[in-house]
Amino acid sequence: MHLGSLVWKVVGVSVLVLPVHAWATDSPLEQIRATTERALAVLQDPAYGGLERRQVRVDKVREILLPQFDAHEIAKRTLGTYWRDRTEEQRKEFIKLFTDLVEKTYSGTLDRYNTDVKFFFDQERIEDDFAEVDSRIFDPTQNKTFSVSYRLHKVNGKWLIYDIVAENVSMVRNYRNQFSRILSKSSYEDLVQSIQNKLKQLSSTPSSSS
Amino acid sequence: MILRFLMAVVTGIIGSGMATPPVLAQATPSAEEEAMLPPDSWEPFNQAMFTFNLRLDEYVLRPVATGYSKVLPDPARQSVGRFFKNLGVVERFANNLLQGKLSGAGQEVGRFAINTTLGGVGLFDVADLWFGLKESPEDFGQTLAVYGVSSGPYVVLPFYGPSTVRDTVGLAVDGAMNPMNYFLSTFELIAVRGGITITNAVNYRSLNLQLFEDVDRYAVDLYGAVQDGYLQRRENDIKE
Repeated sequence: MHLGSLVWKVVGVSVLVLPVHAWATDSPLEQIRATTERALAVLQDPAYGGLERRQVRVDKVREILLPQFDAHEIAKRTLGTYWRDRTEEQRKEFIKLFTDLVEKTYSGTLDRYNTDVKFFFDQERIEDDFAEVDSRIFDPTQNKTFSVSYRLHKVNGKWLIYDIVAENVSMVRNYRNQFSRILSKSSYEDLVQSIQNKLKQLSSTPSSSS
Repeated sequence: MILRFLMAVVTGIIGSGMATPPVLAQATPSAEEEAMLPPDSWEPFNQAMFTFNLRLDEYVLRPVATGYSKVLPDPARQSVGRFFKNLGVVERFANNLLQGKLSGAGQEVGRFAINTTLGGVGLFDVADLWFGLKESPEDFGQTLAVYGVSSGPYVVLPFYGPSTVRDTVGLAVDGAMNPMNYFLSTFELIAVRGGITITNAVNYRSLNLQLFEDVDRYAVDLYGAVQDGYLQRRENDIKE
């Protein structure tokens, strides 16, 4: 037996045995497509349907999405130069706060999902350890297509998302503008307070579904 | 009016000799992005206008748009939006020309011809649906940017919302190119344009009830979120 064919057998078996996300690391586009499909499967599953199972559903989707994001990198980028002045403790606190904020904000949009929404994954660009995946989301109720790009970088061999650009607006840059305005006028403590206030406000109005 | 249009074209041609459009670099992901606030030297005024617009939206625009959205079904409101858009053909045509986008200019003429006739005075976008003619939405603010005019300070306009000095000038120039000018006297124009602007605003707001709520929901600093959202979108419009 040639060494070459043995190699192929090993590769073939590994592909069959390894879970999907482990061998999809070479293509950011496929990784995002697979993640989206897994999240959609939960949203479409009647076992997780209905208002009374909302929390279970949200938790399940979070379980799928969260490992795809580099929370540390996102938090760092939203603070920009102000990140350097933070102590290790403050950084941890901020990552936690910011992750809560994003989760609370976007869990509301899950309630509005309907099965007619279509996802298209158009293309990916890879430059060394950075990648960008372009996609579109078509919402038939509004008869509108939205562009969504994912920016990823490779950490320990795995592609992780560090920014989402929706309709040409970078989420990280948008938060950085908001945070920088607060930080330049007052203090880090004030920023933390503002985010905590927002979290409280979001908890009192858990969903904005229409 | 024709003269005014010609003037704009001539200024554009002279302008093109003086400044070449900037070469746009492909956005590459940078390892570390710095915290840099956009210049906002008119912030006190902008804050006041921003609050004014928020109140106006809360007490007038949103209630009216909500009521309007209940009376008029979604497809009808989308048609109203397309009708108003169709009227902006002259400014889009001119700005495509001024930016050297000949195919865009041609597309706009084709779209106007098709949508005004087959599309029932612009209520339906059959140019896109049947002929695949896409809109080429260039405005004078973008034209100025292409010729190297910098954006100037960020400014929040009453009623209208976020803008820059460059885009405000653009807005005025585009307004002057609206076909309505050719048919109406100044007095009628103010009344009719006012009515159209209000209807258009209500219609637009009614189509974006959820969008506004979402921005309000996720923003920690609403002023900063809207400001940055506007600036990022404009940067991209100019790039395209």
